[in-house]
Amino acid sequence: MPLGFFTRNKSSGAASAAAIQGTGYTPADKPSLPGDPLAQALHAGRLGLIVAQPDRWRDQPDYAAVRERTLLAVDDQFALVPEGLVSIPATIFDEPGGPETDVETQPFLLARCAVTNADFQHFVDAGGYEDLSLWPEEIWAHLISLKDQTGLPGPRFWQQGRHDKRLARHPVVGVCYYEALAYAQWAGYRLPDEAEWQMAATWRIRSAATAQRRYPWGDGLDVTCCNIWASGHGGTLPVDACAGGAAPNGVLQLIGNTWEWTSSDFESTDREGRKVVGDTLMKCIRGGAFDTYFPWQATGDFRTAANCLARYHNIGFRCAMDLLSN
Amino acid sequence: MPIAVGNTSVYTPCLICNTGNPPQAVQCKKCYAPMALVHEAVAQGRAPQVVSIVGDANAGKTVYLGFLLDMLSQRANQFEAVPRGAYSVNLQQTVISHMAYRMFPPKTPMEADQWNWAYYQVCKRAKHTKWVDLVMPDMAGEAIAAEIASPTTFQVVQSLLGRSVGLLLLVDAALAGNGSAQPDFFALKAMSYLDSVLGGGRDTKIALPIAIVLTKADYVPECFDDPARFAAANLNRLWNMCDTRFSRVKFFACSVVGSLAYAVGTGDEGVTPVPLHTALRGVLEPFEWIVNQL
Repeated sequence: MPLGFFTRNKSSGAASAAAIQGTGYTPADKPSLPGDPLAQALHAGRLGLIVAQPDRWRDQPDYAAVRERTLLAVDDQFALVPEGLVSIPATIFDEPGGPETDVETQPFLLARCAVTNADFQHFVDAGGYEDLSLWPEEIWAHLISLKDQTGLPGPRFWQQGRHDKRLARHPVVGVCYYEALAYAQWAGYRLPDEAEWQMAATWRIRSAATAQRRYPWGDGLDVTCCNIWASGHGGTLPVDACAGGAAPNGVLQLIGNTWEWTSSDFESTDREGRKVVGDTLMKCIRGGAFDTYFPWQATGDFRTAANCLARYHNIGFRCAMDLLSN
Repeated sequence: MPIAVGNTSVYTPCLICNTGNPPQAVQCKKCYAPMALVHEAVAQGRAPQVVSIVGDANAGKTVYLGFLLDMLSQRANQFEAVPRGAYSVNLQQTVISHMAYRMFPPKTPMEADQWNWAYYQVCKRAKHTKWVDLVMPDMAGEAIAAEIASPTTFQVVQSLLGRSVGLLLLVDAALAGNGSAQPDFFALKAMSYLDSVLGGGRDTKIALPIAIVLTKADYVPECFDDPARFAAANLNRLWNMCDTRFSRVKFFACSVVGSLAYAVGTGDEGVTPVPLHTALRGVLEPFEWIVNQL
């Protein structure tokens, strides 16, 4: 499979969510789906399901052709993160010289963009919230509370099971860790763990010079390369905005716009060695968001967490995939 | 404005408590309010526009005030803020430096002489006509409660409120949303106290703009959806008092901490809350609303 190493150069050309919201909710239209399951999966962006689970589609006569198209789509939407080494702060006080845990990461594919409202709509429309096979058993009792503003299954800030179509290209927010996980599984992907995420953002690849970047674009803060509080947008931007902040492999918005769920449990201590825990299980979130006030909390190696059931306005996610064997 | 006391000395009255102070005094010897307030008022020939903040202990006044001042200093929403005196920056610095290191700032001491006063002149950059004197002591919630329970215990509270053209009342939404009546009772007492300080008649509603800021709202997400509805449901006594006695009240939801964790040891050292990261939401809006009301 060809892997693209390029940076997209699209203009953001879009207003922030803060500017759009407050002018009336505009529910997205219900799409008409093709009848063929394979075509449906392709239409819904379940690329991982198509390319990584060939046995599922063996009896589809046009599978080979669809798979070729899907591989091209994967190449467009995912980027290779090479193997590397990351040093994850071991305490909540990430000071120079402080204790760190070194982790070697294997190469993997990471989505160039965060999952959008339009992407997530496919999952909702396909009955993802009702498909128990996508949810860990320990969350089943909570599924009933994963509702939108009108009591229907969906992200917290949606209405009537529809996203606001003016925010179609914005990252989906108001989803807890388990909703992110369920979506990723439904689409044939997974969530990156925090070491993988940090590798993608700090680009500490194995080479003669194993320097770690503070930001995906380099070491200097540039508020035009990301959407944090100091950037002044006051809300989310479309997932392809801030093209100047792309990582070398073209992955966008690892810094800012929304925090991103990872699959890693949060384990940390304070200076006295006391464990730092939440009310419930905490999962690591990375990257900072549009409302991150301190710029140093929106860097490639800043480590924080949220309760796994939190459905905040500033946490979204992006998907990852293992390298395909062929 | 200087006044003669006796035959030899000329004293400047504090704008908050009216106590005479020597001309070179930086802060009032009685209430510790910044004397720059009166000097500026004289120099600019205009009445000061004092906005104050009150709230119960642990409602989040210090953190809120620190971030508000810092955001204003960083020209958020086209505001421009000038600290009048280096002492004004202390509170902001304390809050920011602690929160940046994932710690809450120390509890405000009960003693008035140890409160951090902040005096900023604030305006919208585009207009430059409507300057607001943001004069706010970071008062201990216990002191406010003591003054409300027994007026004149902390005279400065009464004097400050009497001089204010706008008020921010901070109420702990997390506690209220959790079923505690304490925030509702404190807020009810505060509004009742204000009613008596401002001397509203029985048939006349008080027109002072009051922004009721529901803090720690990240714990109760529905508070952000509709703060007034949240207040009507969870702070019903306060809601009714506002409806009956005050004509310009607006409810706001606010949060500063993006995610809260706890450091727990194996021994008896207790549990320490840890603000893992900041995520400011609704900090500036209440203040902006008050400025627009003036």
